[in-house]
Amino acid sequence: MKNPFLPLKAVITNIKVETTDVRTYSLFLRDGEYKPKPGQFNMVGYPGVGEAPLSLSSLVYENRFQHTIKAVGRVTKFIERLKEGDEIFLRGPYGSSWPLKIAIGQDILLIAGGVGIAPMRPVIQEILSKRDSFGNSTLIYGAKRPDNILFKDECEVWQKDITVFLTVDKVPSHMTWTYNVGLVTELLDKAALHVEKTLAFLCGPEIMLHFVSRGLFLRGFLPSRVYVSLERRMKCGIGQCGHCQHGSKFVCKDGPVFLYKDVSRFPDGLL
Amino acid sequence: MSGSGMTGDHGFQESNVLISKDFFFNSIDSLRPEYRVFGPVRENNQAVFKEISSSADLFMDYSTTMLSPGKLFIYKPKEDILTFRKDDTLSLSIEEVMPEIEKQVIVGIHPCDINAILYLDRTFLGDIIGPYYKARRENSILIGLNCMQVSENCFCSSVGTGPHLHAQTGFDIVLTDLGEDYLAEIKSKEGFEVVHLKGKEAGTNEWSLKSEKEKALLKSFNKIIDMRGLEGLLMKNLNHPVWATTADERCLSCSNCVMVCPTCFCYNIGDEMSMDLIEIRRFRQLDACQELRFAEVHGANFRSTRASRLRQFVMHNLNYTSQYGVTKTVGCGRCITWCPTKIDLTEMAKEVQRSHIY
Repeated sequence: MKNPFLPLKAVITNIKVETTDVRTYSLFLRDGEYKPKPGQFNMVGYPGVGEAPLSLSSLVYENRFQHTIKAVGRVTKFIERLKEGDEIFLRGPYGSSWPLKIAIGQDILLIAGGVGIAPMRPVIQEILSKRDSFGNSTLIYGAKRPDNILFKDECEVWQKDITVFLTVDKVPSHMTWTYNVGLVTELLDKAALHVEKTLAFLCGPEIMLHFVSRGLFLRGFLPSRVYVSLERRMKCGIGQCGHCQHGSKFVCKDGPVFLYKDVSRFPDGLL
Repeated sequence: MSGSGMTGDHGFQESNVLISKDFFFNSIDSLRPEYRVFGPVRENNQAVFKEISSSADLFMDYSTTMLSPGKLFIYKPKEDILTFRKDDTLSLSIEEVMPEIEKQVIVGIHPCDINAILYLDRTFLGDIIGPYYKARRENSILIGLNCMQVSENCFCSSVGTGPHLHAQTGFDIVLTDLGEDYLAEIKSKEGFEVVHLKGKEAGTNEWSLKSEKEKALLKSFNKIIDMRGLEGLLMKNLNHPVWATTADERCLSCSNCVMVCPTCFCYNIGDEMSMDLIEIRRFRQLDACQELRFAEVHGANFRSTRASRLRQFVMHNLNYTSQYGVTKTVGCGRCITWCPTKIDLTEMAKEVQRSHIY
């Protein structure tokens, strides 16, 4: 019988410092065949410290993939201390993925807040690698300050193929910033959207998802065209430990990517 | 959960026999030592499910126990799942800790607790198999016992889980006390082959006696809840004052309700390092949605208020039937009995039914 808790060992092949507390870890799994889809997550951790649910921030190529991790909790702060060549333990992939098959031939609107850009990046990579399969694609990405914007260099490359809007809440006086200042919702009018043939993918703090989804509905989006990736506490990743329960759903198993209309008006949620 | 290799498969021709109680207890005694036998035992004026060394230990007339047999002997409160060990190269080896397979028979399980095990099956034998649960479940023979009395907080009759067992599969035998004898309904091949209950086939008299007993019991419930329309009603009344009032005035967030609940399945995973820093044990242990940090993530706690946590417990038990297609509560009333301030989820639901906002 397969033990669902048994982790695999991955080697950290590269660490890129993105911001003061966010790093992108390139990982390589020696054994097995690892084929996650964009939007899925791993339970990543280290023995003695614990595990945390973390979305993949890249597509997977021959068992090589990336996690972009903000050091905020016990597990992620421990991971921050690891070095290239170190082992890390993970199990997965778990959960649902962004509906890229449904999105073929349609326009895609990606809206990300903060470190919520991480699970969007494999979607962007997929769009870029099969550019003709998808219609107009737009990324609206907001963060607190210019130095919180992740993948800034990549955003400039992505701009050749998709429309990219960047925005920050505020710009400290010593920083230069040539993009927008303000909430992501304020950018919805700048994006040329054909609501009837666009699918929207949202990831970020739940309060942001709340306001962005309302902004989309005001502009004519149907709730059946809006997908959200939710964050909840998770211990197992396999729909048993109960921590991620949201209404009658298990976010780890039924999500993390949900159709908006399947998770709205739930108790203790903001959608 | 038939068809998954579990006890109680459909291929078996079930039989219903009348056996003397002496015969039954002798059969139970003959099961040891091949099987470990668990059942209700009287201890300090209470009934508890424990391992027995003789059928003379059994206290079959018990009313209710604090802890359910399913969460003692099949879904364990705590168990090791992995061991990590540091070797000479400083790399960590991973070792799976699998449960010791021991054949066990659990005797005298009331209908609510059989139904609770069937509910736990949906969590641990569903899309993803819990190997620890499965190993013990497959090696357990469940002998149910229809209730003879209704306790103060029982409301099984309102949710269809008692006082007599109406499930047909997923357990092995169910007994009905007919005075000198038991009417034994043998529901599985394992139950038939292992327990050896041979007797005369139950006739019309026995069945009508059983049915009369059930009818009489159904009249003696003092706790009744009307489940019709409750699910939609609770969902529409998330801001009903009953949640905050009960939580703020009475709930201690002590988690007793969750710990004694036979269907609460939530667990935590923890790591513990040995004193010599060589070995790390990873274990799985019961957790409770009443704990402040249960739904906390970085920068947010989805259930930071006591009212939201109490509401989660009540909603999960009475409302979210779409999770597995059945109501979570089995009406055993333990959460009411063992609440230090006597919070009663049926009373909270009734309060919403009486004075709903929508």
